[in-house]
Amino acid sequence: MNKTDRQSPPPQVAPEVSGLQSGGTALGRYLALMALAGAPLVFLAKDPYWLNIIAFTYLMGGLAASWNIIGGFGGQFSLGHGVFFGIGAYVTAIATSRYGLSPWLVMVPAAVLAALVAMLISWPTFRLRGPFFAIATMAFNEVAFVLANHFDSFTGGPRGIMIPFKAGFANMIFRERWQYAVLMFVFVALVVGITVWLRRSRLGYYLLAVREDEDSARASGINVLSVKLQGMALSAFLTAIGGTLFTMYLRFIDPPTLFTLQDVGVKFALLSLIGGVGTIAGPLLGAALIVPFENFLRAELADALPGMNLAILGLLMVLAALFMKRGVVGAFEDLLRKIKGKKGGQ
Amino acid sequence: MDQLLNVLVIGLLLGGVYGLVSVGLNLIFGTVRIVNFAQGELVMFGMYGGYYAYNILGLSPYLSVFIVAPAVGLLGVLIQRLVIQPLHNESNMQIFATFGLLMLFQNIMLAFTRGEARSVGGDFGAQVIEMGDIKIGTVRLLTFVITTAITIGLHFWLTRTMVGKSVRAVTQDKRAARTVGINVEKTFLMTFGIGSALAGLAGVMLTPIYSITPGVGGNFILAAFAVVVLGGLGSVWGAYLGGLIVGVVEALAGYYIDPALRHAIWFLIFLVVLIIRPAGLLGQVGAEEVGFREQN
Repeated sequence: MNKTDRQSPPPQVAPEVSGLQSGGTALGRYLALMALAGAPLVFLAKDPYWLNIIAFTYLMGGLAASWNIIGGFGGQFSLGHGVFFGIGAYVTAIATSRYGLSPWLVMVPAAVLAALVAMLISWPTFRLRGPFFAIATMAFNEVAFVLANHFDSFTGGPRGIMIPFKAGFANMIFRERWQYAVLMFVFVALVVGITVWLRRSRLGYYLLAVREDEDSARASGINVLSVKLQGMALSAFLTAIGGTLFTMYLRFIDPPTLFTLQDVGVKFALLSLIGGVGTIAGPLLGAALIVPFENFLRAELADALPGMNLAILGLLMVLAALFMKRGVVGAFEDLLRKIKGKKGGQ
Repeated sequence: MDQLLNVLVIGLLLGGVYGLVSVGLNLIFGTVRIVNFAQGELVMFGMYGGYYAYNILGLSPYLSVFIVAPAVGLLGVLIQRLVIQPLHNESNMQIFATFGLLMLFQNIMLAFTRGEARSVGGDFGAQVIEMGDIKIGTVRLLTFVITTAITIGLHFWLTRTMVGKSVRAVTQDKRAARTVGINVEKTFLMTFGIGSALAGLAGVMLTPIYSITPGVGGNFILAAFAVVVLGGLGSVWGAYLGGLIVGVVEALAGYYIDPALRHAIWFLIFLVVLIIRPAGLLGQVGAEEVGFREQN
């Protein structure tokens, strides 16, 4: 970024409505959202079945919110976030199982590595727009899959990597499920907090400007490539941290778990879409709706009709794209507006 | 030397398969300007169509193609009308919608077949023509011939007939095409239908070669994307040429490096093309950047 960039005023973008909008400061709204998100954890702390779902909901919510930074705010529909997720997961698994390092120490370097890889592979692909970008990122994901399978001396290949159970805070391995759920909650709170900050920062405004109209953004002095790269790096960094947490929760990873598009790369985008792309609360809401629903479907249908749960999810995706483009958050806002409009009319 | 020649022949024949799978995708890609992620699943439907026609009705794939391909084409028309058309000018939502279709189709077939792999087997696919040291599978050779014939046919259809010309007009400028009286929506429906029918046709043609699983579409879609990006957006000959190149490169890499790395090879082709010539070999320069700008 050069001098003129800093001096130029932030571009005029229509303020995005961000979910819980009625009253309060950004901090107040953030705390309210987090309190709402944390409530199930408090009420269901005794039930291991629900704790598992809650932990996954937080994790997926955080990952979807990470995707939302570049996919929602920046408008760059990446389907390749599995790569960054996988980097976080593999670096953690290898460092802890082979070198006995603490995941806490590995987490940040792994995330930095993911951010670097993200910038490296995004640099050529960012010249593509829309669907072309999505295809290219999807290709990265497939390549990561192949490489993870191929270099088995390093990644364990198809056999995967198992992390031995040694409970303790330093190992990020816990005896109780609620401890994992708290860990995941901290993660999602962190990511959503960063999104709240980002939304009001210069980079956030730049990202929105790029999403709305790349050429106009460039014309008004924004270094479009640099903005996209920064957004992608931040997004990848947070996604890799999610990968670390995922690994320590499951304590087993293999290529299909990390790189199956429908379960990882596309799932992040799907959750954001259902909740509301480009909003702050959207990804979290999407996760809160879809993760338990998917668990239910898998439990009810997977034995009787294999794949039916995913088919329903696919149908849901089509319907959401057709009829709920702005997700639950958007639908909620429309409803609010309608109610307000009626009151004004009377 | 014979080895190299053998690998080249295998590559070219494989390229014929990729070209066949890609040509429909590229037609849709270039004209309707949407990326149909579910195209591989249309190929998969074609394969199951060919399989069931062979096993239940006893029809050879080369006969059943006349039923299956139009059926898949009809499905394509429905997709265009019900899903794509309402989402025109919203490329991000189109990605979601067609990816949703991919998941839907793939998993419905999974539920339906319970995940067992099928294959036509029997006398199909086993015959081999030998020329010196080089062995050529009859079915693959036939696939190659069909791909070539379809490419030539499409070329003449697009350049010599009024309907084909109207498709090209819509491709070049939707608004101007509308002004001169072309029904753009109808053209889109037709193009999507033909592109889907070609996917179905490719599927039936491939039943003797590949074993059929609900996830088989995924094997083709990435290769087809690589082919389309390499050959050039919307170019009929681009898909053909791109298919051959990707096939040969894959065969060479498979023989001299490692067959497991072929996905990585596709990706490498992808990346090199994106950096050096993003429009592809035979595509219009700039199409990848402005191709999806809003058109009314």
